[in-house]
Amino acid sequence: MTAKRARNAAFSGIILIAAAIWIFPLYWALTTSLRSENRIVSDAGVLMDELNFSAYTSVLSTSKLPIWYLNSVATSVIITAIVLITGMMCAYALSQLRFPGRKVLYLVVVGSFMVPVPALYVAQFVLMSDLRLVNSWWGIILPQLIVPVVVIVYKQFFDAIPKEMREAVLLDGGGEFTLLFKLYLPLNWGITAALAIITFISAWNNFFWPFLVVTSEDMMTIPVGITQVNDAFGVAYARMMALALLAAGPVIVGYLIFQKRVTEAVMISAGVKG
Amino acid sequence: MFESLQDKGHATGVHLRGARKSFGALEVIKGVDMDIGRGEFAVFVGPSGCGKSTLLRMIAGLEDTSDGSIAIGERDVTHEDPADRGVAMVFQSYALYPHLSVYENMAFSLRLAKRPKAEVDAKVREAAGILQLADHLEKKPAQLSGGQRQRVAIGRAIVRAPEVFLFDEPLSNLDAELRVQMRLELARLHKALGATMIYVTHDQVEAMTLADRIFVLQGGLVQQQGAPLDLYDDPSNRFVAGFIGSPSMNFLAATVESRNGSGIRARPVGQPDTAFDISLAAPPDAGTRVTLGIRPEHLVIRGDGLRVTVDVAEELGGVSYQHGTLEGGEPVIFQQTGVRHGMSGTVQTVAPEEGRIFVFDEGGGRIR
Repeated sequence: MTAKRARNAAFSGIILIAAAIWIFPLYWALTTSLRSENRIVSDAGVLMDELNFSAYTSVLSTSKLPIWYLNSVATSVIITAIVLITGMMCAYALSQLRFPGRKVLYLVVVGSFMVPVPALYVAQFVLMSDLRLVNSWWGIILPQLIVPVVVIVYKQFFDAIPKEMREAVLLDGGGEFTLLFKLYLPLNWGITAALAIITFISAWNNFFWPFLVVTSEDMMTIPVGITQVNDAFGVAYARMMALALLAAGPVIVGYLIFQKRVTEAVMISAGVKG
Repeated sequence: MFESLQDKGHATGVHLRGARKSFGALEVIKGVDMDIGRGEFAVFVGPSGCGKSTLLRMIAGLEDTSDGSIAIGERDVTHEDPADRGVAMVFQSYALYPHLSVYENMAFSLRLAKRPKAEVDAKVREAAGILQLADHLEKKPAQLSGGQRQRVAIGRAIVRAPEVFLFDEPLSNLDAELRVQMRLELARLHKALGATMIYVTHDQVEAMTLADRIFVLQGGLVQQQGAPLDLYDDPSNRFVAGFIGSPSMNFLAATVESRNGSGIRARPVGQPDTAFDISLAAPPDAGTRVTLGIRPEHLVIRGDGLRVTVDVAEELGGVSYQHGTLEGGEPVIFQQTGVRHGMSGTVQTVAPEEGRIFVFDEGGGRIR
């Protein structure tokens, strides 16, 4: 019994140490953001011994954070909505409708899964440039609308719905839209929420594409905006950390609210991606 | 009673002419003609793979008809969508919408049809009353028992007041006791609504007890149709004779020993001491090989006849079924009443009651 207790205590200790290592960067970012720039580069200790909000007030008053927020929220929401609606409809067609080329189309969707996104950046940039969409929301949004994993996951879940339910709706007078929006979608709210979270987080965190396609400060998303603080203030650690924490704030709050769903979403995503 | 549900339920007949269905090269319905009368309870019965469910689905519009026509009442519905045919279907798996309450399940089709709220409510509550579901309207299907779910599925059909009700093995998922109870409820429902109902089952007891008319299917063809007792008393071929009746009819290979103007004398193969005189309108020639069909309930113990070595006795209380073999190894079942202690291990001599032998030719057709 004592040996078991000792093992448990050791295990708990290891977990605590791992958690401390994991959380330290966040703690360090918070501590840094609450110090003056001079203090950071001089004799900064590990303990949080200063509550100086000047970095926050500076960032909020001098940067374009509110606009970057708006850009991030708007592009992420639009991407999530369009990806889910088109992905769901595509999956429904592939799962439930019978038409020539259905299997080939599905193979194309699955195949597109294997193309690394960065390999497309140059072509996408040229395309956005030709379409005069550089420095616009749609320039950020359009290339991010192709998310094969959403189609694959939805199709798997739609395939699992018994055929009789579909037939019952047809006999009740419903068509394909009724089927999709009153049967298949409501039966898959859980997976829809999970896919929405995956897509939103992925769009919110996307740095490289918005960084390429946007040069105007007014069109930047938050991850890109953070780099501008660096440019504007030199090596301004406190302000950078303050901005990073402000940028992460909504995501952290969202995570705390939808914690269970996010975990499910990550597991589903991991399961599909193998 | 049930007036608002009956008013809209213009019970009507169903008529099939040369209906065929193929899946690729495989033809599963091979030209079916049938007329189901207005308000009739028709049952399609047959073994697995006989095409009965496919035929029902063709009537529902869930399967395309490859050739021929289907009419509901005067209307040719062969190429109409399921929803436009005026039919409602109850599925074996219930096919309830799991995310909707009982009320919403039953109201689904009426809401899709954009019926006024008051009408929807009245119909759902009336159907729920008929099916004793009034206390369960707010529950989700997962909270109901199997029997209650089946009632919801029936309720969903009732509220539409269809011209024709279609049932695809609706009781198969229920336990034996509930199945008997639901069978009676369906019979009562049919009487109350006066609707045309088509019911698919592989259970011939369900067919016999529910049907006004049975259609026996095999190999994509209707082998025989008629009232349950007509099929029992006068099967048109060996398949129907074997399928209708429980336990199944005994079949014995036999040879026509002699014929006269009014019948034959037939001797079962391997039974030198036993021959039966059978009256027939068109007796076959002497020497013809035939099959004799005798139901277990028509074999009685007598001094002369077939010697059966009984090996298993099924005691059902009121009656028992004695399973045994003839000397040649052919299986025979005979029914006994009032025998409580099995005949297992004994040899019994049994013979058919007068006029209770059916004769079939080598192709399985009935010789009358």
